[in-house]
Amino acid sequence: MKRSWIIFVLFAVAAVISAVLMISSHPAAAQSSSENPVIVGRVIDLQNQPIAEAAISLPTENDESGPSATSQKDGSFVLEVSEPASISNPLTIERPHFEDTEIELSLDQLNQLRQGHSVVLPDIEMDRVIGLAFWIAAVIFAIVLVLIASGDTHNTLATLVGASLLLGISYIGHPINENLFIFDFAGSISYIDWNVIFLIMGMMMFIAIVEHTGIFQWMAFVAYKTSRGKMLLLLPILMLITGVASAFLDNVTTMLLMTPITVQIALSLGINPLALLIPEVMASNVIGVSTLVGTPTNILIGSYADISFNGFLVNLTPGVLIAFLGLIVYSILIYREELSQAREGSEALIKKLEEGGQITQPDHLKKAGWIGVGMLVMFIFGEQIHLLPSVTAIIGATALLLWIRPNIEEMIEAVDWTTLVFFMSLFIVVGAVQEVGVISVIAAWIGRLVGENLFLAMLAITFLSAFLSMVIANIPFTAAMLPVIGFLSSQIPAAENDVLFFCLSIGSAFGGNGTLIGASANMVTAGIAEAAGYKISYKYFLKKGFPAVLITVGLAFIWLLIRFR
Amino acid sequence: MSGIICAVRGGPDSQSTIDKAISLALEVNLPLHFFYVVNLDFLSHTQSSKTHTISHQLHQMGEFILLTAQERAAARGVQAETAIRQGSVREEIINFAHELEADYLVLGLPVGEAEKNVFLSERIREFGESIEQESGATVVLVGSPPEE
Repeated sequence: MKRSWIIFVLFAVAAVISAVLMISSHPAAAQSSSENPVIVGRVIDLQNQPIAEAAISLPTENDESGPSATSQKDGSFVLEVSEPASISNPLTIERPHFEDTEIELSLDQLNQLRQGHSVVLPDIEMDRVIGLAFWIAAVIFAIVLVLIASGDTHNTLATLVGASLLLGISYIGHPINENLFIFDFAGSISYIDWNVIFLIMGMMMFIAIVEHTGIFQWMAFVAYKTSRGKMLLLLPILMLITGVASAFLDNVTTMLLMTPITVQIALSLGINPLALLIPEVMASNVIGVSTLVGTPTNILIGSYADISFNGFLVNLTPGVLIAFLGLIVYSILIYREELSQAREGSEALIKKLEEGGQITQPDHLKKAGWIGVGMLVMFIFGEQIHLLPSVTAIIGATALLLWIRPNIEEMIEAVDWTTLVFFMSLFIVVGAVQEVGVISVIAAWIGRLVGENLFLAMLAITFLSAFLSMVIANIPFTAAMLPVIGFLSSQIPAAENDVLFFCLSIGSAFGGNGTLIGASANMVTAGIAEAAGYKISYKYFLKKGFPAVLITVGLAFIWLLIRFR
Repeated sequence: MSGIICAVRGGPDSQSTIDKAISLALEVNLPLHFFYVVNLDFLSHTQSSKTHTISHQLHQMGEFILLTAQERAAARGVQAETAIRQGSVREEIINFAHELEADYLVLGLPVGEAEKNVFLSERIREFGESIEQESGATVVLVGSPPEE
């Protein structure tokens, strides 16, 4: 009986596999029917960038609606001609935000098709239409940037307003005036990079476990004990702890955890906490760039340009470390007076500091450590099996949840959903300016400016990104710049090695050190410092941060020149 | 219960407030309570999901700040108590004053630029007056008001 059951189960499995194979073989059947001649081609814009979702059609002599096809992500299309005898000219290509384009097939090509032979067309260029939709998308993007910069509206609300306006205008405005159409819902969703969303979500879950273990507070206290009041030792160690943490966790979380304990260390030493906090937050913004998962901007860049974890480690990390050394020297110089005033704290204060500097969940920390090492290995070696970083992050986070079995409700609450919604709606807003051609116009303008000079392009992108990131939020800025950099990388000789993306990474992240509003980590640090009675004004931060930007960006830029010479 | 409440914000500006409260405690011989309020408003624009974690960290930081004030008082022979709450600074100070039936409330005026918070000179005077009306505690303002 048992045996018959086994045979039955085996049979059932075989049947399922056969069914799956049959279903999967369906395209092959379709292929066999494609013995008809085809017209193959690629649709591109004037910057040689592929145009997806373009409708290609060919009329027939007796019936106007002939064969049709849609261009793929790479701009390519395959138009199957089922009735070659009846086809006629012209081949029509239509796409919202582009001029309708008509291609006259030569008599030779028509004859080839009629005889059952396929035809390969040269690339078809489409002209952009700069119409109402172009300006609406550009204005909405600008409004979103202003709302974020003003600080009066939550970042997520600002991008949601932008996405809602774009979709609302597209749907409600389109029947009134067809030029108001930007994209439909499916089109807007196609701009969301799910690799980014899942990578951030996975890392958030992992961080939610780690942040409760007390590891940061413990490390800071150990640094305090180890340095024995020698500030020239304590400051670099604290900067290093903050920086290394930022390379794997997000900078805001790192500073949320490091700032309170740093304030306590500074108070126990009798020095101004800002002498430690400002270098720490600057280190966080600098070293955070050294890995793919360290900053949202790197996650965006890595996903867009397909740069792996190792890609960042090899090409960027050495430059970041050089910049970090420069930052340490600079920090010691600007705070030498404050640091020299350090004195030993009272017994009661040290005892209190020790109380706060304990590992609170050693078991969770141990498990998170093992999983963290596993994730690191997968990040490093995963690219050989095309393992996406987002998959690694989700697997790691889930494994940790299974191992620790925390309260799942609390864990779900720990995921910052507002940030995820921010990213999704941001992708839609940036997608809109990409869709209507604003990005193409900017790319073409920068392209004309730098020509084919790689050095000039590197210089312009690095420093322009740095200066702009001081005043506008670097995440939307980076998201908007990605297609621009993609275009420049394809146009400038020797830029295919992604060097311009690394320039963007450095500029957009290091630039955050220039002003108080340049990075969220700065704002969080300022908030906690103010809660301790030490206000960080805009002027103060600019005074300390701007020279740091010049030093760190300059050093990292030199590294990129050496690395990609 | 009765006593003196000294709202401590930390930082160099609050030293004179702490000193004034200690002097007052010595003068009127009433128990002194240093009071700190954890306020998470600065998180409103980012990372609201971290509220739980940061709340714990800020409580620890607040306790540390209060300990420094306590040590300062002890150095002058005053054994001060400490209390810490979380929420709106204004409401928590009022609540604590009611809870303690405080005789005096020592508040510091910030030095320097005018800013949009409860400690603005005009607001703090109104705030002090409302406390006096509601609880009978005498409000002592320390420091020069900011120029608006």
